Amino acid sequence: MVAGAQTHRLANGGVIDRSTSLSFRFDGKTLLGFQGDTLASALVANGVKLVGRSFKYHRPRGVLTAGSEEPNALVELRSGARREPNTKATTAELYEGLEAASQNRWPSLNFDVMSVNQLFAPIFVAGFYYKTFMWPAKFWEAIYEPAIRRAAGLGRAAGVSDPDHYDKAWAHCDVVIAGSGPAGLAAALAAGRSGARVILCEEDFVLGGRLLADGGAIDGLPAAEWVARAVAELTALPDVRIMTRTTLFGVYDGGTYGAIERVNDHVPVPPEHQVRQRLWRIVAKRCVVAAGAIERPIVFAGNDTPGVMMASAMRCYINRYAAAPARRIALFTNNEDGWRTAETAIAAGLQVAAVIDARPDVSPAHRSLASKGGFPVLHGSVSAVDGGKTGVRKISVALTGGARAEVEADGLAVSGGWNPAVGLTSYHRGRPKWRDDIAAFVPDGAPPGMVAAGAANGAFGLGACLREGFEAGAAAARDAGRGGNIGSMPVADDEAFSLTPLWHVAGKGKAFVDQQHDVTASDVELAQREGFQSVEHLKRYTTLGMATDQGKTSNVAGLAIMAAVSGKSIPETGTTIYRPPYVPVAIGAFAGHHRDENFHATRLTPSHHWAAEQGAVFVDTGLWKRAQWYPHAGEKDWLESVTREVKAVRSGVGFCDVSTLGKIDVHGPDAGAFLDRVYINAFSSLAVGKARYGLMLREDGIVYDDGTTSRLAEDHYFLTTTTAKAGLVMQHLEFCRQVLFPELDVQLTSVSDQWAQFSIAGPSARKLLQQIVDESEDLSNEGFPFMGAREVKLRGGLKARLFRISFSGEMAFEISVPARYGEAMARNLMIAGKPFGVTPYGTEALGVMRIEKGHVAGPELNGTTTAGDLGLGKMMSTKKHFIGRVMAGREALTAPNRQVVVGIKPTDKARRLRSGAHIIPKGETPGPDNDQGYVTSVCFSPVLDQWIGLGLVERGRERIGEIVRAHDPLRSEDYDVELCNSVFYDPDGGRQRG
Amino acid sequence: MRIICPFCGERELGEFTYLGDAKPQRPAADAGEDAVYDYVYLRDNIAGVMSEHWYHGGGCRAWLKVTRNTLTHEISAVEPTAGAGAAKVGA
Amino acid sequence: MADFSWDVRSPLDRALVAGPYGVQGDAGVALTEIRNFDLIQVMARRGKAGETAKAAQARFGAAAPETPKTVATADATLIWSGPDQFLVLSKGGKHTMAALAPVFAGSASLSDQSHARALISISGDKARAMLAKLSSVDLHPDVFGVGAAAATSMDHTSVTLWRGDDRNGQAVFNLLVFATFAESLWHTILDSAAEYGATIGHSEDL
Repeated sequence: MVAGAQTHRLANGGVIDRSTSLSFRFDGKTLLGFQGDTLASALVANGVKLVGRSFKYHRPRGVLTAGSEEPNALVELRSGARREPNTKATTAELYEGLEAASQNRWPSLNFDVMSVNQLFAPIFVAGFYYKTFMWPAKFWEAIYEPAIRRAAGLGRAAGVSDPDHYDKAWAHCDVVIAGSGPAGLAAALAAGRSGARVILCEEDFVLGGRLLADGGAIDGLPAAEWVARAVAELTALPDVRIMTRTTLFGVYDGGTYGAIERVNDHVPVPPEHQVRQRLWRIVAKRCVVAAGAIERPIVFAGNDTPGVMMASAMRCYINRYAAAPARRIALFTNNEDGWRTAETAIAAGLQVAAVIDARPDVSPAHRSLASKGGFPVLHGSVSAVDGGKTGVRKISVALTGGARAEVEADGLAVSGGWNPAVGLTSYHRGRPKWRDDIAAFVPDGAPPGMVAAGAANGAFGLGACLREGFEAGAAAARDAGRGGNIGSMPVADDEAFSLTPLWHVAGKGKAFVDQQHDVTASDVELAQREGFQSVEHLKRYTTLGMATDQGKTSNVAGLAIMAAVSGKSIPETGTTIYRPPYVPVAIGAFAGHHRDENFHATRLTPSHHWAAEQGAVFVDTGLWKRAQWYPHAGEKDWLESVTREVKAVRSGVGFCDVSTLGKIDVHGPDAGAFLDRVYINAFSSLAVGKARYGLMLREDGIVYDDGTTSRLAEDHYFLTTTTAKAGLVMQHLEFCRQVLFPELDVQLTSVSDQWAQFSIAGPSARKLLQQIVDESEDLSNEGFPFMGAREVKLRGGLKARLFRISFSGEMAFEISVPARYGEAMARNLMIAGKPFGVTPYGTEALGVMRIEKGHVAGPELNGTTTAGDLGLGKMMSTKKHFIGRVMAGREALTAPNRQVVVGIKPTDKARRLRSGAHIIPKGETPGPDNDQGYVTSVCFSPVLDQWIGLGLVERGRERIGEIVRAHDPLRSEDYDVELCNSVFYDPDGGRQRG
Repeated sequence: MRIICPFCGERELGEFTYLGDAKPQRPAADAGEDAVYDYVYLRDNIAGVMSEHWYHGGGCRAWLKVTRNTLTHEISAVEPTAGAGAAKVGA
Repeated sequence: MADFSWDVRSPLDRALVAGPYGVQGDAGVALTEIRNFDLIQVMARRGKAGETAKAAQARFGAAAPETPKTVATADATLIWSGPDQFLVLSKGGKHTMAALAPVFAGSASLSDQSHARALISISGDKARAMLAKLSSVDLHPDVFGVGAAAATSMDHTSVTLWRGDDRNGQAVFNLLVFATFAESLWHTILDSAAEYGATIGHSEDL
């Protein structure tokens, strides 16, 4: 395919590599650019004026700026899974094979059906969402919203998972600097020379900031040469880090800054093992904001016509990219600085059609430039622009005296003055302050440690930028304790800056304030008339400044117009609150590594890989992966596997890895006294070699956690927690130890990861275990009775901890071995248990057996239940003080009609009981008045051969045998159930004591 | 936000867990229900400087008393609680 | 009688694949798992900091760390792990629970953590760059010199990180991570190291 010619590329100049030609596609058309181009500069060089359609009205739009403030030139970059909508062409680096598509047009950019929206423009005024589609309400979701969304919008998301990787990193320094223009480089030089650790962030891919576009002379050198020397000096300093393609986007408490590094956005696909973007958290003692200023538009009719461009952007395209946005340029300015575009145009051999200056006077130097360049200087304002999707054709000028003039041009440069980039300095609710002399807001109330310098601080001259930057860098380094020799300050002349504020030129036709959100001057005026005068209301009512550009080119103009129509000054009108991020940041960058299987850290039990070998199905339990059941070939579903596992345990022996329980070593002379205070029952009286079930309350009297705690020595207890609460109980116990009871001599350590713990349960448990332990160990009921706890020697000499405790209702032991032996333990249990038909079981079978046995677990320890509710009220000691004792005695927590744990089974044995079903008395209408509780845990009981459950039911224990309704509106079920003893299996407990 | 742990030095917020107001003192074992009720439920909603309990669970596991301005997040002091570093008690 | 074997398996036994990982060429990061060590946590009892220090001095011939740092002794490394506590890392059974219990009887409580952690040694040109993705701690040599230690978190997981003696002129970072988290953190480490190229191995030597 023949690539389009670069019709608007200038013959000379530019910071581009003309020897590296890059071909790219825009809306399917192949074009050429050079290394060093942005997509926008390459489009400019190819004479492309129409780049997109606007958000609401589908108006044709071109390139307005040359930076990250761009509201119009937004494209879909790349294709397929990598398609990224709303990408600014002005910052997207050109690469070979780049693909971009214009947005918000159908079927094509040139012929866009939806541009008929302009005809309906009167309905799209401020607040139209709220006004137009009020009735009927149900039409909103069904008709209005989808229709509006189709018509109004920006790019399309890829719709599939992002194939690229992102990561996050920390960085630490003395001074972080935002921006590498003259102020930023000067700050980096001063700080770097003093010995400070410096991070210099530059969002562009080339250092230099405005120097790239405007040049100048520093220390007698051309700007480019000075930049090269400064960069070389900084690069040689070991503790200075220059980060290009990196935007400092946020400020957080304590000197933490967010930055996004676009590591590989400038290549089609990141190289293998590399990330596309990296999110940085930079911890800095000081921050110098040298982020420059943003030139502001003047609002006039037709100011969104393709070909209307910021004057500084036009200089940037001409000087930095050697690309001519127009051949015959008109300039509309209200200040001295705008004239530099006329100078630049002439120097580049372009024609200047006219300069329209809103000020009454023009300097003699500019007068002579006009006469040399042969163009008129018109005193007045642009009142209309004639043009369309092919760009600007003619400009109407309202002259100061009242007369009119017309100027023929194919491009209009606009300069309304400069707004310092006050975003970063205002993120901690800093309120920028108004400066009349430059008619702009400058930083005020910056976060601690942050200072603005140069144009970001309202100092627009080159000399001033260098001075402020250098001084700020030196001061920041000094504050950080660095005192090296900072050398001499770079010097340059200060240009004059005179400006007559002009925000809005009244006229016919749409005059845009916020071009990305299609907010016009009349929308702002309408908001004022309708009472939305506060800037925060103005913003939300008109959506001014709420687009992805966050109103970088529009906010100040919007509030200036509001100030004018409401008869207030601009500082009285004020600014909206600034919030990060300064530029859009991909969610992927915030997620970093934490996606898909790495969404969160996982914990593996010591026997995990062995269980995986056995074909276990795993379930996520908090961070843990636990074996849920071990399917056998031919089993038709999970229930069949689980039922087999339960039967195997109840008839023979099974084992389960229970290492996920929290395990805490409680040491010290006061360990018993400490446990007495945190548990409702006594532990100081527990004999060495014994285990006891303990229950902890919160201070408000509600149950917190439970578990078995054993006394291994006079001054050493081994405490277990539930899997879910392990970390929280540790934190709670540390709080008790360090804050509540500091007088106790007690030490706590988590040993959760030290021990691989297995439950071995079933009538043959002892026989199996006898194969594992040394012959000298007596495991008989006499030698090691129920609730015994002691160290044992295993065959081969290994020491283990053995506990005679049961969660299943069977005779059972828990055995702990040091974790690196965990897998060997599982294998040895399989070998030793083979004669007894040993069966590994998972968490489902564990759950079934605990429900059959009526043991409470997470669904019952749910943050609403008391010890009494759980049937454990008698455990509460009356002889000692413990956490939660006083509050547990409150009337409501001891009321006789509380919902308490009870067994539940359907009267129809074939029916499946479901968790969450509500308990309603027979003959009553289901509803809040008759709701007596709900089903908390259910299982299919192989022992009873039917579904059973536990529930929390009002006065449940007094109502054993009563038939009630289980009402389940979520599943549209309603059936009779019987309230029964919560211990379905072996209520006397003979088996576990066996 | 960053907190200077008196044991570990300055660390990022993610290593710490917030509990709440450090002012209320747990009533004595024989205190009545009203005193305990106050301790458990009644909290001041302080706009300004507040003494707070934070747990350095992602670090040295010390419970700390942090003096923080809830309006600005400025931290003016961080001290160990009574039982953090108790081995040096009486030394 | 059944024939048992009590093989030990490190928490990274399955996840660790020795050899190169990530970008080919000169590896920027060397990752070595150290296997089978003794690790005892020593926690001074209330008011017993002085006695514990004396006992440690007598046992190790060096003062135990009281601030976040490590102390290398003839046959053990003492690593600060929090107020009033430190870890004793050793090999060869010299400083096991059984051996240390009489040393600190009455002055400190001991807890065996030998199996509770995995130990990973990280070095290479890009070790610091890689660790910057995992750790919020400033590891600049002026701040985190040889012997510096930190009780901190990586990937929301508690770790103990310390800088050992330099090897071949390069910094060596040692990382103790809870055993049940080890495989998960290992994958995160590999992800972080891939762009620099890693060389992976394991060792029985501290």
